[in-house]
Amino acid sequence: MTPTTIIVNGTTYTVEVSPETPLLWVLRDTLRLTGTKYGCGVGWCGVCTVHLDGQAIHSCSTEIGEVGNREVLTIEGLSSDRSHPLQQAWIEESVAQCGYCQSGQIMQAAALLAAIPHPDEEDINRAMTDIVCRCGTYQRIRRAIHRAVDLEDAV
Amino acid sequence: MNGNMLISRRDFLAMTAAAGTSLILGMDLSSKTVEAQADDQRQEIFVPNAYLRIDADGIVTLIVHRSEMGQGVQTSLPMILADELEADWATIRVEQAPTDPVYGDQVTGGSVSLLNAYGRLRIAGAAARIMLVAAAAQIWAVPPETCRAENGTVVHIPNGQRLGYGQLVSVASTLPVPERSEIEYKSPDKFRYMGTRRGQIDNSLFVTGRAVFGSDIYLPGMVHAVVARCPVFGGHVAGFDDQQALSIPGVCRVVEIENGVAVVAENTWSALQGQAALEVRWDIGDYIDLDSDKIRQMALDKIAANFVSATNELGIVIEALYEAPYLAHATMEPMVCVADVRLDGCDVWVPTQNRQEAKRHAQSITHLQSDTIHIHVPLIGGGYGRRLRVDYVDEAVELSKIMGVPVKVFWTREDDLKHDFYRPASYHQVRAELDDNGKPISWEHYSAAQPVESDSDLNHGTDVPYLIPKKKICCSSLSLPVPTGYWRSVFNSQNAFVNECFIDELAVASGSDPYMFRMTLLEDSTPIKRVLELAASQAGWGTPLPEGWGRGIACHTTWNTPVAQVVEVSVIDGKLRIHRVVCAIDCGLAINPDMIEAQMEGGIVFGLTSALYGEITLSHGQVVQRQFRDYQLMRFDEMPVIEVHIVPDGLCPTGIGEMGNPPATPALLNAIYAATGRRIRRLPLHIEDLRSVTS
Repeated sequence: MTPTTIIVNGTTYTVEVSPETPLLWVLRDTLRLTGTKYGCGVGWCGVCTVHLDGQAIHSCSTEIGEVGNREVLTIEGLSSDRSHPLQQAWIEESVAQCGYCQSGQIMQAAALLAAIPHPDEEDINRAMTDIVCRCGTYQRIRRAIHRAVDLEDAV
Repeated sequence: MNGNMLISRRDFLAMTAAAGTSLILGMDLSSKTVEAQADDQRQEIFVPNAYLRIDADGIVTLIVHRSEMGQGVQTSLPMILADELEADWATIRVEQAPTDPVYGDQVTGGSVSLLNAYGRLRIAGAAARIMLVAAAAQIWAVPPETCRAENGTVVHIPNGQRLGYGQLVSVASTLPVPERSEIEYKSPDKFRYMGTRRGQIDNSLFVTGRAVFGSDIYLPGMVHAVVARCPVFGGHVAGFDDQQALSIPGVCRVVEIENGVAVVAENTWSALQGQAALEVRWDIGDYIDLDSDKIRQMALDKIAANFVSATNELGIVIEALYEAPYLAHATMEPMVCVADVRLDGCDVWVPTQNRQEAKRHAQSITHLQSDTIHIHVPLIGGGYGRRLRVDYVDEAVELSKIMGVPVKVFWTREDDLKHDFYRPASYHQVRAELDDNGKPISWEHYSAAQPVESDSDLNHGTDVPYLIPKKKICCSSLSLPVPTGYWRSVFNSQNAFVNECFIDELAVASGSDPYMFRMTLLEDSTPIKRVLELAASQAGWGTPLPEGWGRGIACHTTWNTPVAQVVEVSVIDGKLRIHRVVCAIDCGLAINPDMIEAQMEGGIVFGLTSALYGEITLSHGQVVQRQFRDYQLMRFDEMPVIEVHIVPDGLCPTGIGEMGNPPATPALLNAIYAATGRRIRRLPLHIEDLRSVTS
């Protein structure tokens, strides 16, 4: 166990875990940021997606030792008051069913919009195909991404 | 009130608290049988099992008895109540009921929550509204007829004077509960919430990561456990070497439990590493030779033994074998449970569809008094029937009892896929005879499968709605050690696939259009005819499609809700693309169209996923699939456009949770046939089924 320093949602934490511990378990078990979920543990389903310096990554397959001083952003840090256009759009389009995968879906979409503010259908397909939803909310996710773009444009 | 509401008791409501600061009405939302209700009625007992509470601050709380798992029950139930109560939606709160026999059957399954609760919620809402109006009239010393309830207030019509519900509860709670005969209901044209689109009550929690699922429960002093279970059905622990596991930092203990060997650790990651390092020797039991091919042969032998043709072979005889595999539920949140067993009681946090069964199991393991065992149901990361079983509850309770501290049992994806209660594989020999005009004169369906719990499970949805003079249905149960469970729509999923693909085959054999063929075989009064017509017209059935495209249609009534779907596909250079699904549903009174559409979308994706990918295979007495990479789920870029159309004007809501799934598979396969001429009769569809097809 070696002390490791990580920056999550703008706060610096020092955690005592072995360096190969997946970021997912540091977020959940150590920092109690439980918005990030476990889905498969092998980087296949994308449910555990968070940002590392703005890039969407699978937290289940990212060792804490690799994070270094890059900034981790989780769903809890996306906005303090659910004011991010994706959060608003997700509510307006009534996307969630069971809701379990939606943190990962939103974080993936947020990385997409940060990189491509006006994505076309292919951009959206390419990004969102990474994250599985067993409830089948994909159609609403697509609509919500379009709505978030419109909300952002209206500002 | 109109509608055939399922109510047969004398007393519906009871004041359950002394007069004071709140108005509390108890009601019965249980799914008791009509016989059990009649029995209660004879005994003149009334035990409320759900509650409506209005507090002095105007907050209206409905304490509901069902689990939320994405089907929207915690939103739809209060919509019914709030409408009849004439409450302000902003004041509505929902609480989960505790687990108690008093709540009747708390199983959340079979898509019955709304059907059972609808009438009783309207009675409760109307009675409370009448009491609040009477309270206002008493305070103002005016006749109640001159007062009206309006959005959480009562208004005195002549002078516009107004009091909020919160200001009225202390007086209202001293008034008698109206007799049922005195209750006047809102007319449907005055509904403000029912029939409107309303997002889930938890939506803002879902988008901020603050929604609390079972896996998000952390208690002080809690340890984390991962369990190694015998991969072979019916096997047991013969022994284990825990040295390597115990050397992992954070691992506290390795202990044998009923279901396997548990590695208990300070955190999840240590427990996972401990599980990987653990060496268990298994007594593999008697089923090491069991595999999918053997099960298939058993089923075919059973069918052959029963097969006595009822046809007289005067016309054209058509015969086919349909095959459906075992399937896993694959909820996105794997099984998880937290238990805190103490000397004086036990608390369990478990995402379950069956909290009463969880309580029974906790009691039998701890031998504690029933009233000291509390089952808490957080949000559920997908149920689909898997969480009707409580095997994971047993593990957590057993481990907390051993450890003397709170324990969270965590299942990996691998654990979840390999130790599910599977949708049974099933085999179906079907045979029909057409007369000289191409009309079916006989229909025979012989199936063999493992049941879920009783042999009658196999009959779910076997009956076809079509007018065929001679029908014979014969379902045979197989006795096998594979754990089987209820899977969204149960055997409706297999029987809809068989019936609706085979009727398509008959249409083709008779040279008819598949839609028109079905329509001519349906009586005008059958509800399924209406949904079939709606789906076909909305899909533009019969209009031309590009080369390589095809349209398929299917309909099925799951429990009491008819659904029809038209699927549009293209198969070009062996590549299948599902473009569009048009769905029509008759679920009676549509309480929340947004939820109905969501459940249809979800059910369709569930059905298409099973057709495209779903297959659990057995080899050497164990499940072959280990991870999502070999148990694939449909992804974003494969998603067709889904349009949902709801038949209007129903009187009473029926189920929606399972009904979107069954027609999706046959509609897809019929569309592939229309596009390619390939008839797929074995699920899931394989790439070689399409490979040699070029447009």
